[in-house]
Amino acid sequence: MTAETPLELRNATKWFGNFRAVDSLSFTVPQGSIIGFLGPNGAGKSTSLRMALGVVSPDQGEARLFGGPPDLKALHRVGFLPEERGLYKKMTPRGTIAYFAKLKGMSGAEANSRADELLDMSGLEEFARSRISKLSKGMAQKVQILSTLAHRPELLILDEPFSGLDPVNQQGLEDLIREEHERGATILFSTHVMEHAERLCDSIVMMARGKKVFDGTLDEAFKTLGRGARIAVSDGFALDSALASTPFSAVHEPMTDDQDWWRITLPPGRDAQDALRAAIEAGAPIAGFAPEEARLRDVFVSLVSEAEAAELEAPTPAPVPEEAA
Amino acid sequence: MRNVFLVARRDYLGYVTAWGFWLGLFLTPVLLGVFSLAPALAASTTPTRYYTVIESGTEFADALNEEFGRTRIAAARAQITALGMMGQDEAAMGARFDDAIEGGASPEAALKAAGVQNIAALPQAAYIPVPPPAQTADALRPWLMGERFIETPDGPLPLFAAIIVPEDDEPIEYWSENITSGELKAITGRAARALAQERIFEARGIDPSILQTIADTTRPIEERRARPTSGGDNRVTIADRAPYFAAIGMAFVLWTLIFSVVNYLLMGTIEERSNKIFDTLLTSVRLPQLLAGKLLAVLAVSLTLMTFWGVGGSLVSIWASSAISGEAASTISAVVGAALKPAIVGPALLSFVLGYLMYGSIFLALGSLCDTIQEAQTLMTPLLVLLMSPLIMFMVAANDPTSPIVQVMSWIPLLTPFLLILRMPTEPALWEVVAQLGMMAAATALILWLAAKVYRAGAVHGTGVSDVANWFKRLVPGKKKASG
Repeated sequence: MTAETPLELRNATKWFGNFRAVDSLSFTVPQGSIIGFLGPNGAGKSTSLRMALGVVSPDQGEARLFGGPPDLKALHRVGFLPEERGLYKKMTPRGTIAYFAKLKGMSGAEANSRADELLDMSGLEEFARSRISKLSKGMAQKVQILSTLAHRPELLILDEPFSGLDPVNQQGLEDLIREEHERGATILFSTHVMEHAERLCDSIVMMARGKKVFDGTLDEAFKTLGRGARIAVSDGFALDSALASTPFSAVHEPMTDDQDWWRITLPPGRDAQDALRAAIEAGAPIAGFAPEEARLRDVFVSLVSEAEAAELEAPTPAPVPEEAA
Repeated sequence: MRNVFLVARRDYLGYVTAWGFWLGLFLTPVLLGVFSLAPALAASTTPTRYYTVIESGTEFADALNEEFGRTRIAAARAQITALGMMGQDEAAMGARFDDAIEGGASPEAALKAAGVQNIAALPQAAYIPVPPPAQTADALRPWLMGERFIETPDGPLPLFAAIIVPEDDEPIEYWSENITSGELKAITGRAARALAQERIFEARGIDPSILQTIADTTRPIEERRARPTSGGDNRVTIADRAPYFAAIGMAFVLWTLIFSVVNYLLMGTIEERSNKIFDTLLTSVRLPQLLAGKLLAVLAVSLTLMTFWGVGGSLVSIWASSAISGEAASTISAVVGAALKPAIVGPALLSFVLGYLMYGSIFLALGSLCDTIQEAQTLMTPLLVLLMSPLIMFMVAANDPTSPIVQVMSWIPLLTPFLLILRMPTEPALWEVVAQLGMMAAATALILWLAAKVYRAGAVHGTGVSDVANWFKRLVPGKKKASG
């Protein structure tokens, strides 16, 4: 671990009264990565990010930014877009972006010039001196995102950045995240929309019920699911019996069209083509073939369901005292 | 430090660019001016009122006229007493005045004869007698009710009052539709008393002029002040009273300023909480910096108000100096001079800063618990009581700053800022001043610390008014509520 690892949580635990919001969470965000921080609503993602940024202190464990505690010096290198977004409604977009840039250490002139540059770039230049209260919700969200980027942070932490954005703006934000990554920024974003993570991330950290349930690359995530293929046969062919002597198992699916579909489970090391070949060799009259692509959504549902089931079976742990308010 | 300045600057500009700020800036002195001039305005705008006396003869009407004359003379004499307090020779002026009155001069002419240069307006003949339009109360009713009018130099007007004096010893009837203005009724009472006195003196063979002789030979009381050094002029002058006037003014200004600006903190914090800005801010500035910036911003707002009102007041004074009398100008000068004495201005400035920080941090903390103005309104009643309590206490202190209750209350830190200023003209012991300032500083530190805790709970953990209410409920036996 180098001293410049942008973000690291070590066994971080946070209680709110008797409720354990985050339980011994550990993960690292390496330099230059795009990490998706996934989990259902209430999984503890926002609390984890607030701990990472020093907004709240962990009851146990620690948070480290750029190798040290999350102090102001480290925070000046971070851009944070919180889940609960808001701006000063009487300020202008230009004033807002420049204000937050100055708070992050930029000089007045540099902050103003950067605000102009970002507003031009995002097509908001004509609203630069309007009050935020006069802007549409989408425009105000753009202003907040620009405020997060204004000081050219080395680490971008975005908490549910896509929520509330229309598809066009979601695509724009994806492009922006890629641009920031190309600029050299390390990015951690939380979401419960898997498609964004699939398109953007190198790795993901997945949480459920306050616990980490996965931490690895997308490929590693897909490997946690048993993958499969679907084969349609004609003439009422019994594919399960035909494949009984092979490593593949077949389960008949309810008729959804005129085809007679079987779902094939792929054992480790075998792919859908191997299953098709085995079926042909077993004499099956093939009418259709559909290899199943693993989707992050399936991984997510599977891991979260497992975690929730495990949580329901586990005894309730004793709480530690809540942090003094 | 830069972040504290940035937060303060943003908040300050936010406050001073709001139209409410400008409204308060201009309207507050206007309203204060109107309220302070209200009694004088009311007196000068009271219309001339017409009354009638129904009696056999003119004895009571004459007594009433004499009483009106005595009232005006007393008002004129008060002007000479006031000039005496400003260092002029009250005895000599008074003698000249009395001589002129005895010679039959009007009170205005007597004042002139006494050497008074700027004569303040005396109570005018606001009540003018007219012949009775009818002879009984029943018959007078239409004039008293405004259904019929009497002819007056001001045009047709209703009769303000009718005084019916029966021939026997039955009570004198005072008839009027207006039961709130008691001035004429009071003068009527005094006239009846003077008349009764005169009758009794006559019945017992005593010369009524003996009353005047008593009045003339009664020795006046000269108020003198015991001073540390003997000799010199010990008469009580305006210079002696100026520190008290200055202290009352400064305590009132302090209260007005605190009352005016703490709302900014409450509303500003509610805006930040409801707009969900805290998380963004807290990843850019630390909580103590945020608090310090906010308190500094509102302190700057109050200094702006003070500067504006101070400069504005000075300009108005200079502009109006030609219109006010030399005596009034010297009074103002004495009060301003007293206010600028280090013994008063020093504790006043410390009281202002510490008082502002105490009240400001309380409002800041409470604002951080509220999502909406409606929620804040639920807290406003106890807050208003908190803000009104110093006002009530300093009215007591303004009347008698040496009163034991004031001395005891001035040790309560939330009241100290106001009561200490009011007590400074009484020259309390140095140890007492230092101890009270010290206690106030310690209390300010404690309140700031507690306010930071509450602010953190509200801003970071989202604690709200209902959470606080639940917490209190849990303290009440039998009202325990499961947490979580």
